[in-house]
Amino acid sequence: MDHYQYLILMAACLVATLPLEALGARVYRQPVRLARAVLPVALIFLIWDALAIAGHVWSYNPRYVTGVNLPFRIPVEELVFFLVIPVCGILTYAGVQAVSRRWTRARP
Amino acid sequence: MTGLGYTVPAAASVAVVCGTELAVLRTGLFRRPAYWVAIAIVLAFQIPVDGWLTKLSAPIVLYHRAAMTGLRFPWDIPVEDFLYGFALVTAALLLWERQKGQAR
Repeated sequence: MDHYQYLILMAACLVATLPLEALGARVYRQPVRLARAVLPVALIFLIWDALAIAGHVWSYNPRYVTGVNLPFRIPVEELVFFLVIPVCGILTYAGVQAVSRRWTRARP
Repeated sequence: MTGLGYTVPAAASVAVVCGTELAVLRTGLFRRPAYWVAIAIVLAFQIPVDGWLTKLSAPIVLYHRAAMTGLRFPWDIPVEDFLYGFALVTAALLLWERQKGQAR
């Protein structure tokens, strides 16, 4: 199970933020908008990741990753990270907006 | 400690993201209270998640000492990670915000 630690952590982030969609965040219900927000940023951070890995700025503990690598020795977990974390951020922002809309509407 | 590997790019990423909003995108995101509330929540959740990734007792991500300030807080989180996380999430939020109205 240790090799899945990084992926399990990312899954936990997705599960923890899922209720925000039910609260009215409407993020997963706009998949094109979501993709256009997340994918360009993920690409830039993947390039940064490749440079940092090549430059030995950081590395990944082989014990806690699956060992499946993308080109430039980027662990697949990093791609998952760059997709999951921005999605969680957008869900948080849209969730805050949804909650504040409810409060505004509830006010007489 | 040269700071070139991580500290400088992390600070630069924040400058690039903020500069892109102020000079190019102009979405008005930084004037929205919901953005700052969301950033505060994201930073709060970054501590357990990033704390798990970087804990020195069983680290998932290992950093080269010479690449950063070496300041780790709270727990063993390199302080640079907070700049990195801010830039990552804010960049995605800017693109999300830019498409408002043309949403599908």
